[in-house]
Amino acid sequence: MIRKELVAASAEPLILSLLARGESYGYAIIQEVKARSDGKLQWTDGMLYPVLHRMEHRGLIKSRWGESETGRKRKYYSLKKDGKMAMAKHHEQWSLVHSVLAGLRKKQYV
Amino acid sequence: MFNLEQAVAEWRQQMLAAGIQTPVPLEELEIHLRDEIERQMRSGLDEKKAFEAATRQIGQARALRSEFEKNDVSIGARFVELTGIAWGVIAGLFSLWTLFFLFTIHEVNWVGRMLGLVAIASTGLSWRYGYRVLPVIRHRHVRTLMGFAGCIVSILWMGTFVKLILPSLVVLPTKADTSPARLMVSFLWAWTVAATLASTAHGLKKVASRKDQPAVS
Repeated sequence: MIRKELVAASAEPLILSLLARGESYGYAIIQEVKARSDGKLQWTDGMLYPVLHRMEHRGLIKSRWGESETGRKRKYYSLKKDGKMAMAKHHEQWSLVHSVLAGLRKKQYV
Repeated sequence: MFNLEQAVAEWRQQMLAAGIQTPVPLEELEIHLRDEIERQMRSGLDEKKAFEAATRQIGQARALRSEFEKNDVSIGARFVELTGIAWGVIAGLFSLWTLFFLFTIHEVNWVGRMLGLVAIASTGLSWRYGYRVLPVIRHRHVRTLMGFAGCIVSILWMGTFVKLILPSLVVLPTKADTSPARLMVSFLWAWTVAATLASTAHGLKKVASRKDQPAVS
């Protein structure tokens, strides 16, 4: 299981990256993250919504109410221009952290 | 006998009692709960166990409320921010108006005009980038209070300038023809200070939201 602090720090880049593939809703976002991480990234489901609302308040994403195929009401979120820029920044920073870590690990085995 | 609709209604009551607001976000959370119950039932659990697993997964009402509370912007905070923005707009309009005269009156030399332009540029830069020098204040009430103080000091400063400083500028010049430029440039710089102070609430909010860390787990 991944540590709580890392899960929290990765929430925004993950949400932005998922929404970059198209609009989605809270439940689908959580299921997608679980599936892609083989259940290792575990969010307390309800805690996703304050984060989504905060990102919306900051102008990174926008929302609209719609209906699913089954007729259930859903709140769909999609990326805004500022969100795309924030996502690019996150990718750059996380790539840097990853490359530094990978480089250090490689050195240990040399 | 377990009744799912009654259990969901009771869960809603618990959320409302804890302070989760309706319709948003409670409705969104309930939709999520129902999606999760359906998924659990499809995987073989009965209604009761699916409901219990879904409510556990969605989290405790009090923890959710405290996380949502971080997003709430009070009416006071919004009022202070809008007052600051309105005062900043007034400052900007007055500055542009003064600048127009600075460039149309023939008695004003190029030094006066440059000083006026620098004042306008400083106002713009303070609004665009001024937040970078402000500290990150996590406590919303302290931010609101500081923003309010910024507005008050800004208004008091303009009052002091018009009442005390401006009359001395009218009297002081030895040559009558230097007076318009001196007056207008001073007025522009006075508005620069006022606008910068008025941007405090907006800047503090911006710097706090940029440094904000998401909390999910």
